[in-house]
Amino acid sequence: MEIKTRQFKELASQWMKDPAARAFLRRGPYIMSGKRDNALLTFPDIPEAQAYGAVIRAEAMARLPELLEQFEKNATANGAKVLWVRDGRELNETIVKLIQKRGAPYVTKGKSMVTEESGLNEDLEKNGIESFETDLGEFIAQLLKRPPFHIVGPAINVPKEEVCDIFMAKAGMKECTTDPVALGYAARLFLREKFHHAQIGITGVNVAVAETGTIINVENEGNIRFTKSSPKTQISVMSLEKVVPTMEDALHMLRLLCRNCTGQKLSAYVSMDSGPKKAGEIDGPEELIIVIVDGGRTKIYQDVKSREALRCIRCAACLNICPVWRTIGGYAYGFAYSGPMGQVLNPLLLGLDQTQDLYRATTLCGACKSVCPVGIDHPGMFLYYRSKDVEGDPEFQAQPRPAMEKRFFQGFAFAVNRSWFWNLGVKMARPFLNRDAENGIIRRMKGPFSGWFQSRDLPAVAKKTFHDRWKDELKNKG
Amino acid sequence: MERSVRDEILARLKAAPKVPIPPRPPKPKLHEHSLTGEAVIEKFTKTLMEETGIVHRVGNREEVLKKLLEIAYEERLKKVMVSDDEVLAPLNLKAWGERNDIQVMTPKDFPDRNSFRDAVFDQADAGITGADFAFAESGSLGLAFHPDQARLVSLAPILHIAVVPVDRVLAYYEQGIPKIFQEKGKYPSQFVFITGPSMTGDIEGVLFKGMHGPRKVIVILVG
Repeated sequence: MEIKTRQFKELASQWMKDPAARAFLRRGPYIMSGKRDNALLTFPDIPEAQAYGAVIRAEAMARLPELLEQFEKNATANGAKVLWVRDGRELNETIVKLIQKRGAPYVTKGKSMVTEESGLNEDLEKNGIESFETDLGEFIAQLLKRPPFHIVGPAINVPKEEVCDIFMAKAGMKECTTDPVALGYAARLFLREKFHHAQIGITGVNVAVAETGTIINVENEGNIRFTKSSPKTQISVMSLEKVVPTMEDALHMLRLLCRNCTGQKLSAYVSMDSGPKKAGEIDGPEELIIVIVDGGRTKIYQDVKSREALRCIRCAACLNICPVWRTIGGYAYGFAYSGPMGQVLNPLLLGLDQTQDLYRATTLCGACKSVCPVGIDHPGMFLYYRSKDVEGDPEFQAQPRPAMEKRFFQGFAFAVNRSWFWNLGVKMARPFLNRDAENGIIRRMKGPFSGWFQSRDLPAVAKKTFHDRWKDELKNKG
Repeated sequence: MERSVRDEILARLKAAPKVPIPPRPPKPKLHEHSLTGEAVIEKFTKTLMEETGIVHRVGNREEVLKKLLEIAYEERLKKVMVSDDEVLAPLNLKAWGERNDIQVMTPKDFPDRNSFRDAVFDQADAGITGADFAFAESGSLGLAFHPDQARLVSLAPILHIAVVPVDRVLAYYEQGIPKIFQEKGKYPSQFVFITGPSMTGDIEGVLFKGMHGPRKVIVILVG
């Protein structure tokens, strides 16, 4: 996947002008947030249910190495084969080899965000292996060669006319239609043929259960179930933070995930695999290969505060409620993850220097934090990244701040710590600042502060400061 | 010997700073915790119907066959794929099919995966299965897969009909799932929750049923 996180501003302004994205963003996120809120009402005590999710994920992270070992042991005992890979490149190489060894002409794929991170589809294509994304939204995004706009509805912003064109060109559709149901049916027919004859299926993993060695997938369409039922070989890819301690924990996480994600009590299909098919079963995989990917997670894990980000279960509640995401949509974030979750994850996965605008494009309103079912403090993380960036922490790939900015803030810190100096400074700066004032408001300013004024105004500095006036008051009375 | 990737990853995780495991509060309450008896069945029916599932209730085996025939006429079923699970086996659906001129196939009629796939993808007008559980809390069916319960029967045909004895209708997941994962080495290769028909909203958020799996799910409760 081409990483475009450094083009945040350009992409944001580009997509803010896109009529289809605008049309979707005007209503979609509000509808999705509303559905989520309604679904949560089915819990007798919503904060209690959400908080329990946070505790499960916090415990999972505290016990991560132990739980992974337990998961591996139990999954292996169930008959699954567990492989470990360091990063996206190793992941793609491993999967290419697995496919080549088995000689499958193509693979069907269920949605997997970690293979989105690694750009698996591109590498499969390079090696002459056809891969079909089978989630309708992912299928459209793959045909259009676009990143996900929304983690749950990857192509939800794409107008039906554009879907029609691409289906006519690449998915064997005969007659053009702009009926979403007919378009969906065309994709059904095209992909059904692929499911029917598939030899290898690739999926992600939503939850891995340490206690039982089980992997769990959550979906609505049935494409993942097909991918895990029809072919002889199943490859399921999980980033290593997906594990939870027990099956009971997994059940609670499923309740939270589905409600927070799509506003459902449970998605249409939740499938749990404990090993390959047994003797006598006519379908299901003969071999189940689980690939555990580090993909930068062990590095994130070293920092106790950053580790909090690994609790994320990808429900996307934070996207739908975020005033920034609701305005710019998902493409501007330039990587697999968009919205607040992307602003939390992408800087850790790609480095602070590659994601400068991501953790700054925020109002710090905390809406994301208020809906998060695993207790991630997004605004706190954004401020943390900013501080790490300014400190120049090499572990975070911090980018040195401009010398001007540094000097300004050193001077600022000196001044605000000394009242006499500050008061003097304000007095002296007043004529310069107020030079740009119109009707008592400074709307723009030339020079190094011009950027700040692009989206903000400052009241003109008063002729007398409060202190001056107070002194005068006292004098007059006295 | 070179250290394996596995050991390297685990070593890195183990070397990281440790934090205390947060204490567990009591398990969150669910409205379904207090449901019993007929209320469980009512709740299941209501919840599944919200997901556009269709629920019928009949008294005994004879009535199941009668109801299946009604559905077969209504849906114009010519060929159906039927599981051999413990709910359906006693119904002898092959004989029912012969009596009513409906071709009844079971996965065991096929020698291998490919021939079974051809039939279940291209020929079956419906898939009929039993179910291990039905859960009121989300209107979900629970199916464990094994040689008598093939995966594609409830997935590939456009219509899924499930026959569920009422004593298998439970209020919430924890009443059933621990039974599935009771004994190590005996877990089903796959367990699935099915909540209504296959669906999507991926094109402009327009919701519709029957994306890849069944467009319609009919549950016949028995007892």
